[in-house]
This record gives sequence, structure tokens and C-alpha cells, in this order.
Amino acid sequence: MALAPSLHSLVHPTACTVLRHDLPGLPETVAHEVATFTVRRLSVLAAHMRLGIAVIALLVRLFASIAGQPRLLWLSKTHLPLLGEYFRLIRSLSYAYIWEKWPDTRSDGSPT
Amino acid sequence: MNSVRQIWDDANESKMSCEVLIIGSGAGGSPTAALLAEAGFDVLVVEEGRWVEQGTVVPFSLDQMEQQYRGGGVTVALGLPSIAYTEGRCAGGGTEVNSGLYRRPPTEVVERWRDRWGVSDLDPDELMKTANEVETDIHVTHLPGPASVPSQLLRQGADALGWKHDESPRWMTYPDGNPRHGQRQSMTRTYLPRAAKAGARILTQCRVNTINISHAKATSADVSLANGQAGTISFKFVFVCGGAIQTPAILQRSGLRKNIGQTLAIHPTVKLSARFADAINVPDDVPVHQVKEFAPDLSFGGSASHAGLIALSLLDQWSDFKGAIEDWRNMAVYYAAITSEGRGRVMSVPGLVDPVVTYRLTARDRELLRSGLSRLSLLMLEAGATEVYPSFRGAPIIRGRKDLALAQKRFSVNKASVMTVHLCSTVPFGENRQLCGAGSYGLVHETKNVYVNDASLLPDAPGVNPQASVMAIAVRNARHFIAQENPHA
Repeated sequence: MALAPSLHSLVHPTACTVLRHDLPGLPETVAHEVATFTVRRLSVLAAHMRLGIAVIALLVRLFASIAGQPRLLWLSKTHLPLLGEYFRLIRSLSYAYIWEKWPDTRSDGSPT
Repeated sequence: MNSVRQIWDDANESKMSCEVLIIGSGAGGSPTAALLAEAGFDVLVVEEGRWVEQGTVVPFSLDQMEQQYRGGGVTVALGLPSIAYTEGRCAGGGTEVNSGLYRRPPTEVVERWRDRWGVSDLDPDELMKTANEVETDIHVTHLPGPASVPSQLLRQGADALGWKHDESPRWMTYPDGNPRHGQRQSMTRTYLPRAAKAGARILTQCRVNTINISHAKATSADVSLANGQAGTISFKFVFVCGGAIQTPAILQRSGLRKNIGQTLAIHPTVKLSARFADAINVPDDVPVHQVKEFAPDLSFGGSASHAGLIALSLLDQWSDFKGAIEDWRNMAVYYAAITSEGRGRVMSVPGLVDPVVTYRLTARDRELLRSGLSRLSLLMLEAGATEVYPSFRGAPIIRGRKDLALAQKRFSVNKASVMTVHLCSTVPFGENRQLCGAGSYGLVHETKNVYVNDASLLPDAPGVNPQASVMAIAVRNARHFIAQENPHA
């Protein structure tokens, strides 16, 4: 839990960017709620996984600040070991939350 | 049920003592606690998780994962590919959160354990008698009426192909006779109340950090409590029953490493979503039918399938599959599980609270998973699915037999979502000291009073849901301990 604040600052913006791109119809407030949930879940993972995620998240944030958002989205679609698993974890937690909480959400994220 | 519990805070002590300390309250720890308490031992059960009453969380929901699973349900064995696994972390352990399906260990598996690992007095017939008793205690029964539609579809697909299938019984009661209203007879409903009635104390939110061992004899355990305080529990005997991941981790932290945590065995699974013409989804339950045509190497069954889990199953090829999520009521998730020949490790690393877990699939495992997913796709087509969505990156939508070859060609395990809910074999029991971490009744080699009594003992993966094996062996070992250490003698 000690890493939770730093994980939030590292992961939350990336999660929001990925959600906005994948699910353009998702209301902004919902995207923030989903990203917050995702960070909360990441913060209770095993310590070595949290550490690994924090390192990857930091590198991703640095990359995004240098290369910009479009490049971040390109990065989120790569399937490199660890990096690909980081983005997959964000998407897994986010999608599971969205469709469990709002099962009739459309495939673009817009509410019915 | 709260009246049967004693929480550490209520005891208001940083030091406690007991005759037998049982670490973990799942399928191994709870029967052990009940039998020992009933035999007259002074038993203390410590459980790292909370006591969560059945009915207060929705089965298979994110809320349940948060409250009753370790790591919120996100735990991973590292490897290529990494394999997601789940561990219950609550009073009752995995029995509170799993599918409740029950399978006795096959006779040939018990014979293999006895012969290859040198487990003394492990007689298959005797073990089945013990299994009989357990089945009575936890009310193992078949559905009192028709199975759910996703379950029936699995059966229909198997029938169409001439494949063997059956209905797995569950540890459930059905008070009103409705097969949809089953009440899980997990450890918090059966053996834990029995243990408490016989005088056992049950402490939740109490994590064991290390067992203090000197000259092969354990004397106490250092624990952490929910409020952050440290405590010590002294004992005469200790049973470590934390499951196949936590048990070896505790033993390693306590300095015991020989043949401990080096032979993790699992049943890896791959999955798919099948879409039908009509509404078939049952959000809060799993199919009871299983297809056993290719068992023990390969089995097919159904998974929990609420909309969130359907979305998860479509995730790997979301760009092509996403439209299906709007039709989730017509969909269900199914799995292909294999009996793996790979092995994994559980490693307790100084400075880290949680152990590092790894697993390596063999080439044979990878091929079985490929053929398993293909055969499962065929099964679902025969069951009437209009579209099948395999869960791997690059998967095509399968609409007919002609698409199966393409799916099989594109499949790679490294692109798939591989997971498991069955973990075992991290402290194999038997007299073969080259292979085993514990003796034939769970006493850890080179110790005088440290026992293991959970899924860790199973020498390899049984090829079926392991809970029945775990419980029967736990009861067998507990009875042997009582006979050896009878408190009234």
C-alpha cells in the first residue's frame, strides 16, 4: 500500500489515455473512476509485482512525455514481454470493471 | 457464525499458546482442526484473511476477488507465458470461492503417488472410504433438477461428437429443491464450526511470518495482526495448511528448503467465449458438466460468465471481437484444461512479503493446449454456437469447421491467456527423500513436529479438481497423527 500514491501518479494517466482510445464513447468521469479502480487493484498486488509495475509505469510515463500521446498508444499495442503484460493488465482490470458494473455498456464504451 | 470465532483483538494478548497450531483454514486446515479438536487437542487455527459470510458478496465478482482472494485475484506465475492463478485468502480458503465441483482422485493416480513417491500405507480403497466420509460431511450431491443452459450446451456438444461427459457433483445443499438455489457447504459451513464446537479457537487476519525451529523442533510462530502488531504463538505441534503457494513460502522463511517449493504442479487452462442465437448466460454460477473424452490429459468445462468476464475473454483480440460484448447475454465462457508435465517453483525471497512463483510449460503441454482449444471450439460449434471467440492474440472468429484449421495455425500459447485454479505438489509427501519434502503422513523431513496437510502434499497434479484428494488425505493424516499423539493416552 505504501506504493499506492506513486502508482496512482504513474498509472492513472496512462490508463485514462488507453481507455479514451479503446473506448471513445466512455464518459470522462467513468474513465477516471475505472482508472482509479485499476490503480487500487494494482496497489494490492504482490510486492515484487508492484515493484515491476512501478518500474514499467515510470518508463512508460517518461516515454509518453518525450514522444507524446500517439506514440504511447502505439506502445500500448506492442506485445513485448513485460511491457505488453503491463498494458494487458490495465485493460483486463478496466474492462472487467466496466462490464461488471455497467453490463449494457456498448463496445465503444458509451452507455446505453 | 460469528459466535464461533475468536479474533486476536478480543483475546487482547500479544502472546498465545496452544497444543496444536494450524496455519490456514482451507480444505486441508479445516478438517485437520475439526478432527484434532474432537480428539481432545487444544487447537488454534490462524487464518491470514477475513471471515466473509456467504451471501455477503456476489460469487465470481470483482468484489469477491477483493475480499476473498490474495492480491485481489491478480496473482501470476512468471514464465513464457506467465500464468495467472488464484488463491483464496479468507476463512475457509479456496473452498469459499471455487466452483464447488467435486472429483475423487482416480485410483491409478493414488497408486502412482504410492509407488513413485513411496507413500507408505496409501491404499486407494482406504482413501476412497475416507472420501466417502468427507462427502457426507460436506454434502456432496448432484443437482436436484436440470443443469443450467450453458452446462447443457456442453453436454449437447459432447453428445453430438460422441465424446464422454458427465455431471460433476458439488458440495452443495439445495434447501428448496431448486438447482439454482444451492448453498455452498464450504469450510465456514462445515468443518470450521465443527472445530469451534469442539473447542478450537479460530483467529482471522493473522499472518504467520516464520516458524521458529531449533534442533529440528519448532516451538513458536511469529505472526502479524491486522492492526500491525506483532505476536508470538507457542505450540507443541504445528500443521502448515496455507495452500500450495503459501505453505512452501512459510517453510522456506523458517529455514526449511529441501524439496520444498521446487515442484509446483498445476492444471493450465485456455479459454474461449461461445455465442449462441438465444440468451443462455448465467452470471453467477458455473456449468456442472465436464467433457472427459481425452482425460486425464485434457478436459473441458465451463467458467463463470458474467459480462465482465465475457469482456475479459474477448480482450486478446478486442479489435475484432469487441462487437460481441453487446450480445453477452447470448454468450458463455468455456475452458480446456490439461494435466501438465511442466513444473514450477515457489521462492521466498528475503525482504519480499510474497513469494515469487514461476512455471514452465513443456512442449507437450503447449501442443495439448493448442489441440485442446481447437477441440473445444469444435465442441461449441456442435453445441450450436454461431460464433466462437478463442482467447488468444490474433485469433479468428470461428463460425464453422472450416475456420478451425486457421485458428489452430494462428494459436501460440505465448499469445494466449493461460490461467489455473488448481495448484499443488510443492511439498510432495512420501518416503523417497530424493523427491519428497515430507513423510508419508505430512511430517516435514528433518523436523520433529512440523506437519504439512494441504494441496502441497499431492505429489503431482491429479488430472481432476484436487479438493477431494486434499480433503481425503488431510483426514487420513490427521487420524494418523491422533493415533500417534493421542492426548488421552
